[in-house]
Amino acid sequence: MTDALVLSDVRKTYGQREAVHGVSLTVHEGEIFGLIGHNGAGKTTILRMISTILKITSGRIEVYGHDVTKDSDSVRRLISYLPEDAGAYKDMTGRRYLTFIADFFVSGKERDEMVDRGIALADLGDKIDYRIDTYSKGMMRRLLIARAIMTRPKLAILDEVTSGLDVINAYEIREVIREIAKSGVTVVMSSHNMFEVDMLCDRVGMIDQGNLIEVGSPEELKKKYSKDTLEEVFVTAVKGA
Amino acid sequence: MSHLSNIVKKEVKELLTPGSIASVLLMVILFACLGGLIGDEVSKSTVMPTIGVINSDEQTIVTEDGEWDAYEFLKAFYINSGDKRITPENVGNFVMKMDKEDILKQMESTGASVVLYISDDFKSNIESSIAAHDYDDPAKTYKSGEIAQYYIYTPTGMIGGTVSSSVTGYIITYMNASLSKFIVGNDEAAYIDFVKSPIEGSKTYTFINGESYEGVTPSEISNALTGQTMFIPIIIMIIIMMVGSIVISSMGSEKENKTLETLLTLPIRRATIVTGKIIAAAVVGLVFGVAYMIGMLFYIGSLSFMAIGGTSGIDVGNFGLALGLGDYLLLMLSMFLSIACALGICMILGAFAKNYKSAQTMTMPLSILAIIPMFITMFSGWYGSSDLIRGILFAIPFSHPMMATEALMNGDLTLVVSGLVYMAVFAVVSILITVRLYNSDILITGLSQNKYVEMLSGRNKRKR
Repeated sequence: MTDALVLSDVRKTYGQREAVHGVSLTVHEGEIFGLIGHNGAGKTTILRMISTILKITSGRIEVYGHDVTKDSDSVRRLISYLPEDAGAYKDMTGRRYLTFIADFFVSGKERDEMVDRGIALADLGDKIDYRIDTYSKGMMRRLLIARAIMTRPKLAILDEVTSGLDVINAYEIREVIREIAKSGVTVVMSSHNMFEVDMLCDRVGMIDQGNLIEVGSPEELKKKYSKDTLEEVFVTAVKGA
Repeated sequence: MSHLSNIVKKEVKELLTPGSIASVLLMVILFACLGGLIGDEVSKSTVMPTIGVINSDEQTIVTEDGEWDAYEFLKAFYINSGDKRITPENVGNFVMKMDKEDILKQMESTGASVVLYISDDFKSNIESSIAAHDYDDPAKTYKSGEIAQYYIYTPTGMIGGTVSSSVTGYIITYMNASLSKFIVGNDEAAYIDFVKSPIEGSKTYTFINGESYEGVTPSEISNALTGQTMFIPIIIMIIIMMVGSIVISSMGSEKENKTLETLLTLPIRRATIVTGKIIAAAVVGLVFGVAYMIGMLFYIGSLSFMAIGGTSGIDVGNFGLALGLGDYLLLMLSMFLSIACALGICMILGAFAKNYKSAQTMTMPLSILAIIPMFITMFSGWYGSSDLIRGILFAIPFSHPMMATEALMNGDLTLVVSGLVYMAVFAVVSILITVRLYNSDILITGLSQNKYVEMLSGRNKRKR
């Protein structure tokens, strides 16, 4: 099985405060890997380091064998990052935004095909030609997911992807994530929603105060802690950490 | 489409919104209207005011040589004044006889802005003084004729309020000259002119860049140059502040709309993002700058027209002070480099903007840096400043295009070229710092989590 993502003893320091303490983990190709933890645990910092936005203080991160520090340009060609509460350029239409992003990856006919794929993924109907500042939060998320996926990344990094969405929108977006994983895209996602992670993720990493305290499939973890839900596992693991 | 052009296109579309274009057009129209308004006022001020004359009794002064009458003099003066509206047939509409009762009412009904009240003893005073003239008695005193002036004050602003009284002053001066010649006799008119100004002081010679020029004074040259170049520092200041605001706001918007993180994970070099933003801001800034320049030219044109006294008649090119093609190229290069410096500074400041609102606050240091050299160059310039002020002027990159016109006219290429070199180095260094910032965490985390800031703020010590 190919390793899509490898973190080796990764540390991140802000000023004098260490936010991530030597995290090591591996995500396999085609997996949906969930990072769970409370606010400020270090999930977003880890995702940002994988996405080349933040520098690693020490350790090493590889995406499909490419070092994110030394070979960040190659890494950016392989990944798609969707930050929590991400936005889009409000004075563009949905179609124009997808075209703007596609222009950074391909050109000509391939670009048009990529945009068509994005429009199909967003499934916004004729609203795709409306200005983005008229979109609801759910429509905006659909557009951003489409933006992240239409480029056919090898690794999709999704930070709190369903946060703040209503039940229907959250359900539809989880379905999209399942579909893209089936198509071979590796997904690393963070979430507060244990139910969502339990349903979606093949494996889960639990983060507490910058430490990776557990890694395993939801079933393995529930069995290990003799609990019925991932939420109970997390609470027990954090208290025992 | 290349990554750079994609970024530039996106930025330009974001910046050139209908709202921003409308506001700039409105500003141009405002400047042009203001210019037109001033021009109209100045035009009004150059025509002869409607004047009332109160000539209570028959005040014609009679001597052996003939007669002199104030009202008749004024009519002749108005006909020959050069005011094309006034003809011998209609001069009575501009110079009107009035009664001494209820002057205000008469002025309001006729529209006269000034009334000359020739006193009852005007004729008798002058005639008795002429009759009593005694060459042998130097202690003898003579009574003058009195003319009182009546005005209605209306708050018409800087130009309109001062015109009628100053024009009346000229009229009284000419009346005096005419009456003097009448009293002495027309045969002595030339002699009167000689007695009034026996010294010929109108020949002037001024050395400009080592060459001697006749018929011009330094103040006339200075006024002419000011009229032609005073708008350059203002335009440069506006462009600098405009492009600065555009770039910083763009960064603030990227952070506020949470689009920056996405942009940073796209497969483009950080230097391309920086360059794209700089090019777009420069293009939009120049477009807006040119628009402002056109509006400002309308405005300045009207101010030059206002320069009564005739500095506009001086062609500085006749004195070797005109700019050649090479000079204009150097001036353009200087402007371009100063804009590059401004953009470099703004990209650095913009990297620290948390949102659109904080970005607006960050334009303040740039505005101050643009305003300081504008005022110095407009008031004392490089050559009239002390060494300390010169040091400050040279250090601020935006000073150089503001000083360049004066330096080029003075043939001071050393100042211009050294300024270009300084600005080029400044721009490159600031853009390199920007690229470095874009490659660092500061863009995402801000300064609060920087170890140096923690050290300076003391947070570091408390933790230990």
